[in-house]
Amino acid sequence: MTTIDDLRTTFFDECDELLVDLESNLARMEEGDADVINAVFRAVHSIKGGAGIFGYDGLVAFSHSFETVLDLMRQGALESSSAAVATLLTASDMLSDLVSSARSGAATESEGRAQCQTALERLAAGSGAGDAPHTSGSGAESFDDIAFTPVQSDHFESTERHTIIFRPAEHAFQEGRDPLEALRALGQIGEVEIAADLDGLPALPDLVVDQLHIGWRVVLETAAARDEVERVLEGLPFASIAFPDEPLPSSFSVDDKPEPGDPAPGPAPTEPPAKAGEDERANEPRGRDATQRSTARIDLEKIDRVVNIVGELVIAQAMLGQIAQGLPDESRGQIAQVLDEVLHHTRELKDSVMAMRAQPLRTVFQKMPRLVRELSLKTGKKVRLETVGEGTEVDRTIIERLSDPLTHIIRNSIDHGIESPEARIAAGKDGEGVVTLSAIHRGGRIVIEVRDDGRGIDRDKVLARARERGLAPANAALSEEEVNNLIFAPGFSTAATVSDISGRGVGMDVVRSNIQDLGGRIALHSQPGAGMTIQLALPLTLAVMDGMMVRAGEDVYVLPISAIVECLRPQRSDVHALIGTRGMLRLRGELVPLVYLGELLSAASEARELSQGVVIITESSQSGRLGLVVDDLLGHQQVVIKNIEDSYGVIPGIAAATILGDGKVAFILDADKLADLAAAGFSPVRGAASAGVFSALSH
Amino acid sequence: MPYAGALKVLIVDDQNSVRQMTRLSLEEFGVRNVYDSGDGASALKFAGSQPLDLIISDYNMPEMDGLALLRAVRAHPVVRRLPFILLTGRGDKELVIKAAQAGANNYLVKPFTAAALREKIEQVVGKLQ
Repeated sequence: MTTIDDLRTTFFDECDELLVDLESNLARMEEGDADVINAVFRAVHSIKGGAGIFGYDGLVAFSHSFETVLDLMRQGALESSSAAVATLLTASDMLSDLVSSARSGAATESEGRAQCQTALERLAAGSGAGDAPHTSGSGAESFDDIAFTPVQSDHFESTERHTIIFRPAEHAFQEGRDPLEALRALGQIGEVEIAADLDGLPALPDLVVDQLHIGWRVVLETAAARDEVERVLEGLPFASIAFPDEPLPSSFSVDDKPEPGDPAPGPAPTEPPAKAGEDERANEPRGRDATQRSTARIDLEKIDRVVNIVGELVIAQAMLGQIAQGLPDESRGQIAQVLDEVLHHTRELKDSVMAMRAQPLRTVFQKMPRLVRELSLKTGKKVRLETVGEGTEVDRTIIERLSDPLTHIIRNSIDHGIESPEARIAAGKDGEGVVTLSAIHRGGRIVIEVRDDGRGIDRDKVLARARERGLAPANAALSEEEVNNLIFAPGFSTAATVSDISGRGVGMDVVRSNIQDLGGRIALHSQPGAGMTIQLALPLTLAVMDGMMVRAGEDVYVLPISAIVECLRPQRSDVHALIGTRGMLRLRGELVPLVYLGELLSAASEARELSQGVVIITESSQSGRLGLVVDDLLGHQQVVIKNIEDSYGVIPGIAAATILGDGKVAFILDADKLADLAAAGFSPVRGAASAGVFSALSH
Repeated sequence: MPYAGALKVLIVDDQNSVRQMTRLSLEEFGVRNVYDSGDGASALKFAGSQPLDLIISDYNMPEMDGLALLRAVRAHPVVRRLPFILLTGRGDKELVIKAAQAGANNYLVKPFTAAALREKIEQVVGKLQ
């Protein structure tokens, strides 16, 4: 049963969509396109309408002022100038705040709101056209002077009488059919007079108790049309039904297919009439060419519950696998086969559930045009934003946490990357810079790129700044990549003056850690003079992942498969001793520092001898490769990620925990943090520059 | 006198919350056969295929607004005489005049109560029982 509270939730969900539409259309407002202005108007109007129904008066008042300005623009009485659009953008933010506070039930009054509303009213008043046609109607909601078309149809002038005779099949009871249903259904659409037709009743000795010998004659007085009565009766257990008042008596039986002339059974009342007409295409554009599909809005909590259950299923299945291992060979083979199938289905189930949580990146991408517009206004640079792959889907939790990092990267690109129009033209480029935001699925991850055609990274400047700040040792020869990566180092900023745009106290280091918190990697490519690309590679989901089970001493750990480059058993001769390290592995000419997982996490490990262990080469974006020495590889498994930070706080090197097939808890390793941990342990050089030292030493 | 339980009403509004609210209001006074549609085009298609007694349509919708739907209904060979109530924003007199000229049977200003909705419907189809 739908309750008002459910509807409120629906309303606020709609508001979210409308606000996103509003924002993206506002950014295009200055073009003066009538469709865009109409769309903006509609969004505000819809919010106002819904707010009125649910009694959010503050929201109604504010959106009314907003709408008035938009209506004037729509009519051409007010120009959508830069200044006006700026006011509208502020108003859109305010509207968004008001919606959130209405949702949370907080007070909606604030100074900002009043100010913004005044600004809107001033804008409307300034047009000279005033607010007249729309506010004068406060008390005049009744327009008695307007003559409406009287209803011409004879639908309601009188009710009709139908006489219906029906005679259920004798064996109706044996088939579990109850003629009473039909009588009740008729009673629901009008007044009925029912008389039993006992003509078919046999003499008492011939009476069979479980057979139906009688029929009924029903006089139905109803406003419903004939075909509607038929539809009510359709599907009910009659052998025959007749409308004797018809000139040509027709009859139909539920056992027959409907005759060609019969009305097709309509959708049951209270069902939406046409699925394609539903407005719940949350993820589809509303354009004419939008593919129409039917969708249902599902509470996220419900999906999360399914995700959790799938997680438990994955664990239970792992346990089953473990038990099967212990069985005698003959039964194990059979079980293994079935288990494989279960594994396959579980994986598919997991993927399907994850797909339900997935959302297109559009919601994040749509916020960016406005950002670019504001930035180009502030910096005086001409910038065009191109987006590719905004339909790419990724888990909702990831989408929610992508907005800030992407905003910052784009700010950074425009602030530091894109040159002024003059400088661009002098460099032989188009005066207008291009920032491309793209997303693509690649190898079970989603790869998001922000590419600009600006000046790229000034490596000398970066290096000088890093040395000045003590982020890189003065004598280390850093590779190009390592220099580029310095911009991700904490406390790094190349802007001579802290600008209004990038300098908000958040550096690229925060971006990097945000992305890493999501289990992602960030990489940077720069070509001096031609531009720079920042690439984010993120997991599609945060709930279940593919992991490699490894053993260190008594303990089992899980290493995300995505972090593993290769596994090998090196020869003793491949390992070189180096002071301050636990040894360096020579791998195809490159020196990779070795880290003993057991030592690192202070677990007792037997296999200190490298020859008995396995080296897993991991790669992290900032510290390069690392050889993780473990005692054994136990195999590949899907694991359910259980957050431990809430209970235990942040543990260095540990990302989360999972439950293994035997019910034990295992930690999921954080490859990037392990590298940091190792670096802190054996090298005086920390963080980003540590890899540089290694490569310097290897030359 | 139309029987509320037999009245078949199609609600057209692009906002699901408004559709559902209208449905709840209708159910409050016994209208059970309620269909709804999120856009004018599919509403028109549906109206042409089903026996209906009343369309209640919002004005403010993308693609085809309520007035366009009304005009399309009035130009439709099958449903041209179907009673039509237009939902409007607050006090938009010009729109109400346009709607009346286009053949609307009544209008209703949002937000509305179930009683107001019933009153408007009764003005159009007669007293409900």
